Amino acid sequence: MTAGATTTARPAPRRTTERPNWLAGVVATGWLVIIAVPILTMIGWSVTSEEDFLSFGPLAPPRDITFENFASVFELGFLRYFWNTLVVTVGSIVIALVIAVPAAYAIVRSNSWLASASFRAFLLGLAIPAQAVIIPLYLVITELGLFDTLIAVILPTVAFSLPLVILILSGALRDVPRDMYEAMTVDGAGSFRMLVNLVIPMSRGSISAVGIFVGLTAWNSFIFPLIFLRSEENRVVTLGLQQFRQEFGINMPGLMAAVLLSAVPVFLLYLFARRWLISGLAGVGGK
Amino acid sequence: MTSTTTTDRAPAPARTRTTARPRRGRRRLGSDTAPRPGMLYVLPAALFFGMFAIVPLVLVVVLSFTSWPGFGDPQFVGLDNWQRLTGDQRVINATRTTLLLTVLGWATQTPVSIAIGVWASGPQRNRAVLSSIFFLPLLLSSAAIALMYHRYLDPNFGLAKDLGPLIGFPDGNILGTRHGALGVLVFVGMWQWIPFHSLLYQAAARVIPQMLYDAARIDGASRWDMFWRITIPQLRHTIVTSSVIMVVGSLITFETVLLLTAGGPGTATQVLPYLMYRSGFFEFQMGYASAVATVLVVLGTTVSLVIVRFSGFAKMRSTLEGL
Amino acid sequence: MRSSSTPIPTLKRRGFLGLLGAGAGATLLGGAAACSDDGGSAGDNEFDVWVLLDENVNPVSQASLDRFNAGSDVKAALVTEPNEGFRDALQIAIDTAQRPDVFFNWGGGSIRSYARAGLLEDLTPHLEADPAFKDAFLPSVLDAGQIDGRYYGIPMRQMQPKLMFFNTAVLEDVGVPVPTTWEEFLAACDTVAGNGITPVALAGAVSWTELMWIEYLTDRIGGAQVFLDIAAGTGQGWRHPAITEAVNTIIELVDRGVFGTNFPSVQYEAGGAETLLEQGEAAMHLMGSWSYTNHLGAAPDFATQQLAWGAFPAIEGGAGDPAAVAGNPTNYFSVTSASPHKEAAIEYLRQEMASEEYVRGLIGVGDTPAVADIEPLLAETEHAEYLSFVYQMVVQAPSFQLSWDQAIERAQASTMLESLAEVFLGNLDAAGFVQANEDAAG
Repeated sequence: MTAGATTTARPAPRRTTERPNWLAGVVATGWLVIIAVPILTMIGWSVTSEEDFLSFGPLAPPRDITFENFASVFELGFLRYFWNTLVVTVGSIVIALVIAVPAAYAIVRSNSWLASASFRAFLLGLAIPAQAVIIPLYLVITELGLFDTLIAVILPTVAFSLPLVILILSGALRDVPRDMYEAMTVDGAGSFRMLVNLVIPMSRGSISAVGIFVGLTAWNSFIFPLIFLRSEENRVVTLGLQQFRQEFGINMPGLMAAVLLSAVPVFLLYLFARRWLISGLAGVGGK
Repeated sequence: MTSTTTTDRAPAPARTRTTARPRRGRRRLGSDTAPRPGMLYVLPAALFFGMFAIVPLVLVVVLSFTSWPGFGDPQFVGLDNWQRLTGDQRVINATRTTLLLTVLGWATQTPVSIAIGVWASGPQRNRAVLSSIFFLPLLLSSAAIALMYHRYLDPNFGLAKDLGPLIGFPDGNILGTRHGALGVLVFVGMWQWIPFHSLLYQAAARVIPQMLYDAARIDGASRWDMFWRITIPQLRHTIVTSSVIMVVGSLITFETVLLLTAGGPGTATQVLPYLMYRSGFFEFQMGYASAVATVLVVLGTTVSLVIVRFSGFAKMRSTLEGL
Repeated sequence: MRSSSTPIPTLKRRGFLGLLGAGAGATLLGGAAACSDDGGSAGDNEFDVWVLLDENVNPVSQASLDRFNAGSDVKAALVTEPNEGFRDALQIAIDTAQRPDVFFNWGGGSIRSYARAGLLEDLTPHLEADPAFKDAFLPSVLDAGQIDGRYYGIPMRQMQPKLMFFNTAVLEDVGVPVPTTWEEFLAACDTVAGNGITPVALAGAVSWTELMWIEYLTDRIGGAQVFLDIAAGTGQGWRHPAITEAVNTIIELVDRGVFGTNFPSVQYEAGGAETLLEQGEAAMHLMGSWSYTNHLGAAPDFATQQLAWGAFPAIEGGAGDPAAVAGNPTNYFSVTSASPHKEAAIEYLRQEMASEEYVRGLIGVGDTPAVADIEPLLAETEHAEYLSFVYQMVVQAPSFQLSWDQAIERAQASTMLESLAEVFLGNLDAAGFVQANEDAAG
């Protein structure tokens, strides 16, 4: 048996002697254009002044770069929306992970009926659309006295991301070889120690991936804030964008500035967490 | 389906192994003596999910037998809503539109995602750089993307004015025609979701063992053969995961429709979630909306269960078994 | 899979606890926000006034609240909500502790169900008891805020009849006078279209803009009673021949190119249609009187130099009075009956809604308030010409038809809007339109 040729999560070197794949290259280039053009246009518009935009049309590159659009977006309270959205996002990520990781562990390893019943429920839950239960959810939230609070957005967001998160985590955990659990048992570990010292480290990549997934879901959520939030001071970025559409009217550059700003924090996160994300997804799709 | 696998197969034949599992003679997969986590580990998740997802779900079904304008008390009306629903042309149209968009979405997103994902998993430098660019749409929320395209498609002041004529819309009236609006929804769906799914495929393609390709090349297989006989089967589980996410996601697409087409032109792009929202929050017929919601849930659940059961995903076999 | 020789990475205990702390912290932050916002709508000595988000009018409302607060123990707070979500937010909250104390509405169907469910304060006794208060408002407008004969709303904003707006520069360029009759209108459309310009701007991506056309056509062709019957469920309802003729007229207009070809994609709230008019890419626009304010804000030069206005053309041989007006009589403030601060709220309305400062404030932003005898005030404003025109239009109108989608129940309104959109798209004929609406009403 070959002990050395292991498959790891790092990309294995291969295909260096093959002919370049022209077809794939063409598709990739085409796709690059499709992705890049709307984004470049958005950036271009956001630094064009409104008058220039109306005078020179949508396809003209910006003549004088201006940041007045961003200024007017901030004047409308964007900073406050950022903060609210950040609270919602961080809260959702942490609560989701704290609940989901042990649950995935239990689903893969536990013999209890609750674990397998829960797994079925989560699979079922994948298909529950948030809009469908929004009315009863509203009742639950108001009964708990949480209307117009950020918590009211966090809790359902977590609940609805649990199915996918647990699905992905349990998928990754499946491949933790059984003898590792055995090895730890020999060391005298109980199931909790195994969770902390084996399961979590082994699935670190997937945990960061689903954490980012939950974070993105929370950052971009729209329907829950739409129904559960009321006051201006609790408004989140997605609602702010909708409000901007009304405020800005035909002012395309202004709206694009708002859209761009709404993505900046996520973009920063992406710059820092990209490696985690990519390596984490290896645990998702590869098995 | 069970959460621990005890298979009936004979133990794996002794082919070349890529895992460094220490040999301990023939072992039945799935048995070990390590202590198992109790149900306490899954209890918080179960409770949480129960309270914020299951209970409201039951309530929605209950509400579907009532008439409720959103305030005051719901009145029980028995099967009225359901009778109305089965004959309602809007529901039939909405279901048809939803299914159409779902199928089109899958048919456009999956092949491109696989292609891009596999391509991006290669080792060449430029691929890594380009992959970063491909990731950008994921940074934008559905709301942001819908708003952005909504502006682009303005026939008089947006890109549609200049680019519309190039694709057969001389007056830029893309969103105003049924085909245009549907096409836009499919396109935006692609733009928005292919980055995500191609990441899944990229990660999965990365861990396909190189030796499979080497062995095939020695046997004289063409690139095409290798793609279809090695890559795709190895991506099997990813295809299932991705497809479930994609299909369910398409079925419940709401924000994009709301902000981009508002169900229009006319009722051409009214999908089930939008119809549900409209009957509930615009027409204030929450009981009827709940019936529509129930249909949506049943549809989504059935589809995902079918995909999962059909593909054996739940048995959780690893694709690396047997190597 | 790792070989047994590489060490298993561990998550330090500290890191784990740190994460837990971060999550708890974030939750507490959200919860702290919850505590401070608890009680939903209003604090103990405060009542909430819900209005539409409108950057022009909100400051006027705020100023009136400030004046009231200066002299009252119970303070009032302004809460704004974008148009899109306003009715939803209201519907969800009206019967809960988050209800507003005072809220903006359109009268008619927008409050009928609430009034009948007893959720609104009946203001009739207060108006009867204070004739000066009651007579301060134009009777036709005040009456339009009645439900089943009782008053539930106090006018708080401008009268919003719908009228025609014209880009005089475009009309002059093509050599056409401002049309006042239907024949002139059609001729103008043909000439303008012949010059490659869209005759009439139409924000066809939303249906309520299209509604204006069928409202006026029906009124001019068949008279005001046609829709009154529809709304009340009496008479011939949708089967009245005027409806069919109106729909056929619309189809003819669309086929003739009066609205251009890409109107189904043109937005309203994004300023699409109005910008078309401002930029000279359309010659005419049928819209509510608020459009003037919008033009003032977006394109002041255009508004002051090239904008003209007039009533909807008269149709020869039609049964309707050419002076009849359609639109929103006004927006109203209503008071919720379960509000703990009803008295203070009504006092606010009594003090401010017809007060000179408030009226001046509204006039200053281009509104024409529904208050009686304000001709002198209007005449001395910057926008005297427009405001006086609109005011006279309403004072002299024999009837003021409430916008159809506000006048009937939401479920029926939804069908009406959808079927109308299909008519404009060329997918539905008059018979189909009538049938669809009858089914919804029946």
